[in-house]
Amino acid sequence: MSKELIRLSDCVVKYDDEIILDHLNLYINDKEFLTLLGPSGCGKTTTLRIIGGFQKPTSGDVFFDGRRCNDVPPHKRQINTVFQKYALFTHMNIFENVAFGLRIAKVPEADITRRVEEALEIVNLPGYGKRSVTSLSGGQQQRVAIARAIVNRPQVLLLDEPLGALDMKLRKDMQVELKRIQREVGITFIYVTHDQEEALTMSDTVVVMDKGNIQQIGTPEDIYNEPKNAFVADFIGESNIIDGTMPEDKVVKMYGKKFPCLDGGFAPNEPVDVVIRPEDIDIVSPEAGQITGTVTEVTFKGMHYDIIVDFQGFKWLIQTTDYSPEGARIGVKIDPDGFHIMKKSQYSGMFGDYSSYSEEYDELNVDPDAAEGDDEED
Amino acid sequence: MKKNSAFSRFFTVLVFLFLYAPIILLIVFSFNQNNSNVVWGGFSLHWYKELFHNRIIMRSLYTTLLVSLLATVISTIAGTFAAIGFYGLRRRTRSALNTVNNIPMVNADIVTGVAMCLFFVAFFALWKDFALWVNSVQSLFVLPTRLTLGFPTLLIAHITFNIPYVLLSVSPKLRQLDKNLIDAAQDLGCTWFQAFYKVILPEIKPGIVSGALTAFTMSIDDFIISYFTAGSSSSTLAMTIYGMTKKRVSPEINAISTLLFVTVILLLAVINIREAQQEKAAARREAAPSATVAEMAGSRPRRTPLPVKAAAVAACVAVLATTAVGAFQNTRKPMVNVCSWGEYIDEALISQFEEETGILVNYQTAESNEALYSLLKSGAGDYDVIVPSDYMISQLIEEDMLEKLDYNNIPNFSLIGDQFKNLPYDPTNEYTVPYTWGTVGIIYNTAMVEEPITSWSAMFDDKYAGQVLMFRNSRDAMATALLYLGYDINTTDEAQLRQAAELIADAKGRGVYQAFVMDEIFLKMEGGNAAIGAYYAGDYLTAVENNPDLAFVIPEEGSNWFVDAMCVLKDAPHKAEAEAWINFIASTEANLANMDFIWYASPNEKALAEYPAYYEELYGEPLEQEVYEIIAAPAEVLERCESYISLPKETRQLYNELWIGLGIQ
Repeated sequence: MSKELIRLSDCVVKYDDEIILDHLNLYINDKEFLTLLGPSGCGKTTTLRIIGGFQKPTSGDVFFDGRRCNDVPPHKRQINTVFQKYALFTHMNIFENVAFGLRIAKVPEADITRRVEEALEIVNLPGYGKRSVTSLSGGQQQRVAIARAIVNRPQVLLLDEPLGALDMKLRKDMQVELKRIQREVGITFIYVTHDQEEALTMSDTVVVMDKGNIQQIGTPEDIYNEPKNAFVADFIGESNIIDGTMPEDKVVKMYGKKFPCLDGGFAPNEPVDVVIRPEDIDIVSPEAGQITGTVTEVTFKGMHYDIIVDFQGFKWLIQTTDYSPEGARIGVKIDPDGFHIMKKSQYSGMFGDYSSYSEEYDELNVDPDAAEGDDEED
Repeated sequence: MKKNSAFSRFFTVLVFLFLYAPIILLIVFSFNQNNSNVVWGGFSLHWYKELFHNRIIMRSLYTTLLVSLLATVISTIAGTFAAIGFYGLRRRTRSALNTVNNIPMVNADIVTGVAMCLFFVAFFALWKDFALWVNSVQSLFVLPTRLTLGFPTLLIAHITFNIPYVLLSVSPKLRQLDKNLIDAAQDLGCTWFQAFYKVILPEIKPGIVSGALTAFTMSIDDFIISYFTAGSSSSTLAMTIYGMTKKRVSPEINAISTLLFVTVILLLAVINIREAQQEKAAARREAAPSATVAEMAGSRPRRTPLPVKAAAVAACVAVLATTAVGAFQNTRKPMVNVCSWGEYIDEALISQFEEETGILVNYQTAESNEALYSLLKSGAGDYDVIVPSDYMISQLIEEDMLEKLDYNNIPNFSLIGDQFKNLPYDPTNEYTVPYTWGTVGIIYNTAMVEEPITSWSAMFDDKYAGQVLMFRNSRDAMATALLYLGYDINTTDEAQLRQAAELIADAKGRGVYQAFVMDEIFLKMEGGNAAIGAYYAGDYLTAVENNPDLAFVIPEEGSNWFVDAMCVLKDAPHKAEAEAWINFIASTEANLANMDFIWYASPNEKALAEYPAYYEELYGEPLEQEVYEIIAAPAEVLERCESYISLPKETRQLYNELWIGLGIQ
């Protein structure tokens, strides 16, 4: 991988004894697409604002390209930002918005014209320069905000939930678009979101945060397949998390039964959290199943059914293309690679039970709380 | 449905008619050829022309513009920064401060005005002690000890009441801003200050501009607060108009009011159109026609062309510069503050005096002797020269409020007729130089009464019930009753006074009086709305010009004859200039001009005698003897008349008590 560009070393942010960032350590490589992922109030926006220079850590250091930059004001950093609600200048037209940074930097007029056009082309808005900001749709305004940032050729682009205000369809298009733009301009993108799908789709590296701490850093695949704790397992995708023990390597015991798995390295009979992704569970006849349960709820999702199954009082979510009626008694079978074993953590027991599952579950879980910024600033 | 809408349309028209009829009437009569508000004499722009030659109006217009512009600029800057400060506060603190900010706007102007006046006066008193102390402990510099209400206090007051309006229109703009805007600008390379003036300022500019326009409108048409804080040395347009109406509503007032009305309407229209445009712009979401790449560079939508902008800026700078320079010059010239009555001087004399002597005259007017007296008592009347009537003069001398004059500086005093010297109000003539004199009588409309009026009984007779106008001041009103009853107008006998008051109360109870009035008598008599009214001889001559049916009589029981004289207030700051002014006004030439203008008799012997010739030369026709005798009552009439003398304190109190008992404001 390429060289390290930004390092946050032991950063703490406190407001009136409320800890926003708790001894955060993070490094970010050049030309990397890194996503800070977490729920509202997890400290991801604060982390971004520290990198942008809009906020100083209470303690700890920030390095840019090896130099400490705690006291460098935003306008002197080679970093540009795309803000949550775009923060476009409505008193200027599109061209002037994009040219703003170049004019401040006193770039020659001919260069400005050329670079602004280039930037508008990159974001697929060629020829929009003369229009007013208010005449554009949300998605278009978002692109202008990106053009306004990248036209300055920063080394790092910070994106603070840039797609939050867009509708679902547009958001998906823009995800692809952003990834393309990042490849095209070849700079580091640091992306803040609470949407796990966005994070998995675009990122080279995902940083999962909660309560001011980093829970896990890794590639999207790592994060999804090998979550470090119940919080990550639950926040990234859907997970059934069951209490279990590890009698020996490659054997996990739950519901009093032993199941073969691929994990190991735990103390004998160590209590663990067992993660089983809903799509890794096969429904079989009760006789053929490793364990049996009763279907309590079925929801048609288009590509599959979401089925809630009660296993001795603990409800699992199973995603399957096979329909089982409500009340049916079924057996399930899980391949050894379907198990993911995690050490117990502070999050154990808090997630992974679908007893209160409802269709809104997803929405509730990723409720786009726009007030995050307010919470942190006020 | 249809019927309903026709009715509602009719109703709407009716409402608007009610709302605007007075203003329309005012505007129509501003184009009247003659000087009446009741009788239409043909279309003319005469009063507008007159307006621009009226130095009092032009001076106050200048004051109004200067104070409004300065107050607008200062309050806009202060208000904008205050709004930004509020914006940065926690929500709780902010809403508390916003409430505090809103109070002055809903507070009664009169309370604000009085409070400010009291505040300034209290501050001046403290300052005096402080300055005296500073001056006593060191000799490097001398602090002025006597501060007075004037332009600076007026300006402070205007700034104070304007700031809330600016705040109110800037705050919402700030709240609408994306809160990342400053961050975004800094992110793109701006320092905080650059971010402020390149991004925040233009983004909230619409709010600032409408705030400034509102502030300007408020300043232009404020009367009450200005009235209490301007002191005697400056007067805004609204104050001048008010002063003018005290005498009579001449079409000149219609003209200036029309201009003021149009100005305010235009300003409001500008504010509203701007707001409408902003709303439209916000609502407009459709894409504008796409532009070619070549057109893109440097082009900005909806921008005022540069030359227009430059011209607007230049105009503003020019206005500000001239007003500022003017203000500066004004403070450098010697000056004299004069307080007189409305329409009581030929204004050409003021210009002439200023040209001849280089002394600037600040000419103000008061409503009545009593109003002047309370103004002086409050400490707000900072004048050099005043022109009170006889009985008020003796009261002022009694209370040591007048300065003795140095008659060496007033050689024209020798021109004053002997019968006007050493009068009871100033027995040894140490304080006063007479200005005019005249008589009180009854004005009546010959078309409305059957036989000529000869007695004060007409004022109490049921025959003309509802048609009679009585004085709205205690001394003159009581005098009519005392004269009718055959008592002395200066009586101190309580029984006689009570009898007189009862007479008036009885007549009032019987519905004899249409109203108790002062200068409103012009309107009512000229328009034929009342048949009989007691008033001053000189004013009758003005009224008869608009209604030839009017007649004047000094009743057989006798009457009051009065003298108004110029005096200098104790410790007047410009005593030398004041004496120069008095000397100038006492000249024969000035007396002739004044006599011609106001039709009150001159105390200058030569002027009084020469006036018929002067009139003939000026107008090409002889002055009727009858008219001359109304202006200057002949000796045999004057014999029947008596002048007021100052009443002892107990009697004054009795007057007050009786007057209040009559239930007249």
